[in-house]
Amino acid sequence: MKKAILYINQFFGQIGGEEEADFAPEIKEGLVGPAMELQKQLGEDIEITHTVICGDNYMGSNTEEAVNTIIGFLEDKEIDIFFAGPAFRAGRYGSACGHIGKAVKEKFDVPVISSMNEENPGVEMFREHIYIFKGGASAAAMRKDIKKMAEFGRRILKGDTLGSADEEGYYGRGIRRQVWLEPPITAADRVIDMLLKKIHGEPFQTELPIPDQDMVPIAEPIKDLSKAKIAIVTSGGIVPVDNPDRIQSASATRWGKYDISDTDRLEPKVFKTIHAGFDPAAANNDPNVIVPLDVMREFEREGKIGKVHDYFYSTVGTGTTEGEAARMAREIVVDLQDANVDGVILIST
Amino acid sequence: MKLELGNFYVKEIVFGDETSYSNGLLTINKEEALDIVREDEHITEADLFIVKPGDNVRLVPVKEAIEPRVRVEGGPVFPGVTGELMQSGNGRTLALKDCSVLVVGKHWGGFQDGLIDMGGEGAKYTYYSQLKNIVLVADTDEEFEKREQQKKNKALRWAGMRLAEYIGSCVKDLEPEELETFELDPITKRSSEENDLPSVVLVLQPQSQMEELGYNDLIYGWDTNRMLPTFMHPNEVLDGAIISGSFMPCSSKWSTYDFQNFPMIKRLYEEHGKTLNFLGIIMSNLNVALEQKERAALFVAQMAKSLGADSAIVAEEGYGNPDADFIACIVALEDAGIKTVGLTNECTGRDGRSQPLVTLDPKADAIISCGDVSQLIELPPMETVLGELESLGRDGFAGGWAGDEILGPSVREDGSIIMENNSMFCGDQVVGWSTKTMKEF
Amino acid sequence: MVKEIEKAGIPIVQMANLIPVAKTVGSNKMVPTISIPYPLGDPDTPKEEQWKVRYHRVGVALDALTMDVKEQTVFNVSV
Repeated sequence: MKKAILYINQFFGQIGGEEEADFAPEIKEGLVGPAMELQKQLGEDIEITHTVICGDNYMGSNTEEAVNTIIGFLEDKEIDIFFAGPAFRAGRYGSACGHIGKAVKEKFDVPVISSMNEENPGVEMFREHIYIFKGGASAAAMRKDIKKMAEFGRRILKGDTLGSADEEGYYGRGIRRQVWLEPPITAADRVIDMLLKKIHGEPFQTELPIPDQDMVPIAEPIKDLSKAKIAIVTSGGIVPVDNPDRIQSASATRWGKYDISDTDRLEPKVFKTIHAGFDPAAANNDPNVIVPLDVMREFEREGKIGKVHDYFYSTVGTGTTEGEAARMAREIVVDLQDANVDGVILIST
Repeated sequence: MKLELGNFYVKEIVFGDETSYSNGLLTINKEEALDIVREDEHITEADLFIVKPGDNVRLVPVKEAIEPRVRVEGGPVFPGVTGELMQSGNGRTLALKDCSVLVVGKHWGGFQDGLIDMGGEGAKYTYYSQLKNIVLVADTDEEFEKREQQKKNKALRWAGMRLAEYIGSCVKDLEPEELETFELDPITKRSSEENDLPSVVLVLQPQSQMEELGYNDLIYGWDTNRMLPTFMHPNEVLDGAIISGSFMPCSSKWSTYDFQNFPMIKRLYEEHGKTLNFLGIIMSNLNVALEQKERAALFVAQMAKSLGADSAIVAEEGYGNPDADFIACIVALEDAGIKTVGLTNECTGRDGRSQPLVTLDPKADAIISCGDVSQLIELPPMETVLGELESLGRDGFAGGWAGDEILGPSVREDGSIIMENNSMFCGDQVVGWSTKTMKEF
Repeated sequence: MVKEIEKAGIPIVQMANLIPVAKTVGSNKMVPTISIPYPLGDPDTPKEEQWKVRYHRVGVALDALTMDVKEQTVFNVSV
């Protein structure tokens, strides 16, 4: 018998309406409110052991505390799957389902399933983290929304092959994976079909939708370069010849920092590139073409910059996931901040 | 230009006294065939094996696949590569279908090499598990690159081509079982029916990124790194004018067999005169500098426009920075008013959340996607391994590793493996076979 | 990588050959390099020439760190 737990708000938890929105989290054994319908839909192989109830405002204004309390409730429980909602178009409820769902996913690594209407702001906030099914606008859709959540949950726990977001009916989580078309249609056939539609102005569906770009604010510029400490970072895979950190030559998950405090320029046979995505000959003959330490030292002598940071940082960019690259960068940032680095030159290949 | 491809459908391959073909049975005199392989003194060890679909055999490191062929009027199957230079794409060439010559390193692999499982769940990842294959397993004395991650694999690849020519020659005097005819009138001499149809060019971006010679695809023996985009007849590609190189993670590569059978070209031929007017191929390239990428895009757009193309298909042999060539080319064509569809694979990373191509542009609004190089694949041990299984983890394969904190080594003690799709031999089949696509989860 | 460092408030400039790639990944300050395998020195040119290119382009990058820009900017190089 698999075990499930459901999260709902104060209203569906039959505590009360808006006046009870500050209700602190509670966990109740067995089924409360929508849990009954969910249990019915889940069938006999999955048991909802507990229902967690929390006021929407409480979750909204004390998010961290509420999440910690609920995670505390769950720590000694058996959980195979976690449900939250459905939240329909209720914004605070949707966001609460997302917050707790994301925390449960991270803490216990179990499938988390919710349901929200497309206009619920919780969708955009949490679709990357949990399964959010496309739900109705109001509680009138309760039965239908719960049915979708339950059905998908049953299939996950049974180990069924799961379809894509569109096929299953949840909001895509931003995870792209290869699938074999059934029935099989060759790429050549698909090209011709798409081309003819494009030529004749008929609608067609690209297989690679171009995502919107997400930008970060531009950091405050350096005020006085002549006093600044500058660090060199590269994704060009320059490492000491024995590659002490065993950085992978593609799809890297490791980075290294190498002491250059007593070095005037990077010498061949001392440093090399382990990047597999390009012809390494030039960089092996003169690593300064990727890590320009020689000219940085010159700028240091001239007083254009204050100091070259004592270490340079290196990893390999080819095939490396954005997630891994971001994690490595965050680790490097800690180091840069500890060393009071004022600016970074990043050389990519 | 008129090319007749005369086909013989191979149903079974056996070793025997005389290399010959009869009623679907291909017989190979092993010693004679190996003598052809050993013509190159750099080949130090060589052996031949026969594998067929469903066999519990794993091949690694696979370097090349070639369709056995012969030119009826004489001349090399690969002009400028295995013999003198001559025009390809005209006349009659005979081919042994449903089979290929696969070249496998006896020990050493590299970044560009791949893996094929002939049976089991791994079979679906490559096209070559559907073919009967003559497998050349050989070693060479090319010491300079033995432990290099990037290998030219020259002796082995050329041995494969000689072997394919040798085997193909056994049907030279036979009548083919089927005749495929590929003929396009010169562009300015086409019928009004053809001219009234929307016209299309196929833009190919074969792998040409290594500045040192010896790694890139060759066109009539010429290194593609040393060329600018040019106009070619589709028959030339189908008839041996271009051979595969030895660079790029393997699932993105196009083997010589892929070029000889290029499904996208054949598909365009099917549409020619019905829904489209197939003008021909703009043979572009892939580069390592932005200026080179932009220059190539400029040439492609100009040529397509001057040819009067209403539409274009762009296909790239690679991923990563080649995506910049791919997108630049699509954007240049769209800017010239040419309706363009792209054909590629993606790299979304182990978590599937990375940007699918390294550059993107809203003008690239019609893309067919053939797979994800970074997909993890776990496969059980195989009864037989041809080549050396260790190479997958040891030799710097694009999709293999010696150790990984989370996943452990690619090659496990029991012979089971975990790898990225990156190293499945020509697995993403961007040439047009792929029945894979990408979906969001 | 660039975004994470910039997010931490450390000014960063990306030196890259593939400016379209740098733009797509959200780099704010960019200086072009000469190629992918040898960003800052063409091996077919004399050492002095390579030094000049490297000195100039890294200099432009350093200056870029001091510039107050409002949008994605590619800084021009002259050698």
